[in-house]
Amino acid sequence: MNPLTLAWRNVARNRRRSLLTGGILAFGFASFTLSAGFMAQSFHGLRDSTIRSGIGHLQFADARTFTQSEDAPLQFGLKDADAIMATIAKDPAVRVVMPRLEFMGLITARARSVPFVGVGVDPLAEKTGTDIPTTISAGRWLDDNGRALVLGTGLARTLNVSVGDGVTLLATTPEGTLNAVDAVVTGLADVHFKELNDRYLAAPLALAQQLLDAPGTVSKISVVLHATGHEAETAQRLTTVLGGNLAVRSWEQLAQFYNQVKMLYIGIFGFMSIVLMVVVFLASVNTTLMTVTERTREIGTLRALGARPRVVLTNFVLEGTVLGLAASAAGALLSLLISAGLNASAIEMPPPPGVTRGIPIHVQFFALAYVSAALAMTLTSVVASYFPARRAARISIVEALTHV
Amino acid sequence: MTDLPLLSGRALARNYRLGTEMVCALRGVDIDISRGDFMALKGPSGSGKTTLINLLGLLDTPDAGELMLEGMNTQGLSENMRADLRRRHFGFVFQTFNLVPVLSAAENVAYPMTLDRRSDREAAVRARELLAAVGLADKAEQRPDLLSGGQRQRVAIARALANEPEVVFADEPTANLDSKTADMILDLMQTLNRERGVAFVFATHDPRVVERAQRVINLHDGRVEQP
Repeated sequence: MNPLTLAWRNVARNRRRSLLTGGILAFGFASFTLSAGFMAQSFHGLRDSTIRSGIGHLQFADARTFTQSEDAPLQFGLKDADAIMATIAKDPAVRVVMPRLEFMGLITARARSVPFVGVGVDPLAEKTGTDIPTTISAGRWLDDNGRALVLGTGLARTLNVSVGDGVTLLATTPEGTLNAVDAVVTGLADVHFKELNDRYLAAPLALAQQLLDAPGTVSKISVVLHATGHEAETAQRLTTVLGGNLAVRSWEQLAQFYNQVKMLYIGIFGFMSIVLMVVVFLASVNTTLMTVTERTREIGTLRALGARPRVVLTNFVLEGTVLGLAASAAGALLSLLISAGLNASAIEMPPPPGVTRGIPIHVQFFALAYVSAALAMTLTSVVASYFPARRAARISIVEALTHV
Repeated sequence: MTDLPLLSGRALARNYRLGTEMVCALRGVDIDISRGDFMALKGPSGSGKTTLINLLGLLDTPDAGELMLEGMNTQGLSENMRADLRRRHFGFVFQTFNLVPVLSAAENVAYPMTLDRRSDREAAVRARELLAAVGLADKAEQRPDLLSGGQRQRVAIARALANEPEVVFADEPTANLDSKTADMILDLMQTLNRERGVAFVFATHDPRVVERAQRVINLHDGRVEQP
């Protein structure tokens, strides 16, 4: 008789109990995979939104930009930006090159002045490489109009301006003089990160360069690739070609917020997984203990017939294995059904940390989580079977045969 | 070598702890069992019949005395070695049949053979032969819960014979059977003893078993009572 067949029959012998324990294992499996799928989707979404927030896959800048603070605006700016961008754009992995000129100053409308955090951009490149143009809630994104501005809705609210209103921008030039330009608000963007939304300003690169009196200069160059995951080799290739004092950073090195959220999620998920495993383990141990007690006389009989203690141990461990595998299969099915239901439900989740808008729930199919959960549940069931089974294997035959 | 008894127990003693008291179940019993024996250990409850059968069948170990199996001292053997000896030399029939409920009659009979690493096919063929020998060829696929008490005991006898043992130990094999079925079971055991040369050792106080036994050993308070 195949030992697995015997194990399966013994598992099926007490259907109610096996269903209960298998149900706990399947529920554990589904909880694990659903959490992992939701987390993977959250990471995926957060990664994409981080990359498309303007950081890009790669950022090129003067090496000092990444290690020192500027004493004056554009102290570490790239003065020959056009030539660098042209070289970068030739790389086959590159989708779009986005010059960025970061600056700060005051925006004035009517009698009110508010500090802003501005970025001078190439409107078309920004439309391709970031999500910011899609967050326009009023008016339109930057276009050919050289005096156009897009403000964060929070900044516009504070400044009490709307689309079509004229404003004046004031900023300090690299030489330390105060400069001002007039502009028109053509769009309002609902920037996801609230703190940024309250200060955000986007201007055409030429207007920003005019304000800072720094023609042809940018702070950094963001690069969006055709696909995520090719950052390292592309960076290496481009660094070799570009040379000079340029330094490159990947989005993972720059996205501190993403990394913090990721660690937080992993911590929560890890803690929940441990709690889940303990519950599943205790339920499985309880089941095997009950099974061993119920089958004590049978264990005595098998031992009397000449079964070595290891045979008894193996039988119970195999039962744990069979139960773990069957429960994993049921758990996988349950998880897929719940995932499909949740993904179709379009339930809105609360905004993740630092984001102003909620996102529809989506559970990603995460194959590694399914494999890990199957291993974890089966191993838990096996380990939970092992100790009661070892006790069963060592039981006195005479006592077992007279067990009532 | 052939003159040696199959099993030879000398001064076998066994004590049990019952709560705070020690109970002397056997107090120095000498016993020999030879091939082809058909013997009964007789005595009232608590006389030590089951304890003696457990010692002889290597299900338990004596506190004192020695037990020789074909001239080999069984003292100090590991659990695995004792299991191997039980599997190869002995068969067991229990009062409550003790069949594995998830296995069919044929699978129950085949199980000791698979423990002895015989192929599934060989075990299945022999299991059916043995079931036919005990008159249950048509019940091979039945699970124990669908068999009567007598049929279950016959399956248990077939199982006991699976590995061609030299001795079958039967502890009160007729206690849970009606008279007619008990007689049928005893007829079967006598036939197997006669035709296959298998020794049968009964622990019983059933007079029908005692009547048929070629040899009867009376036990009383853990000692062999001299006639």
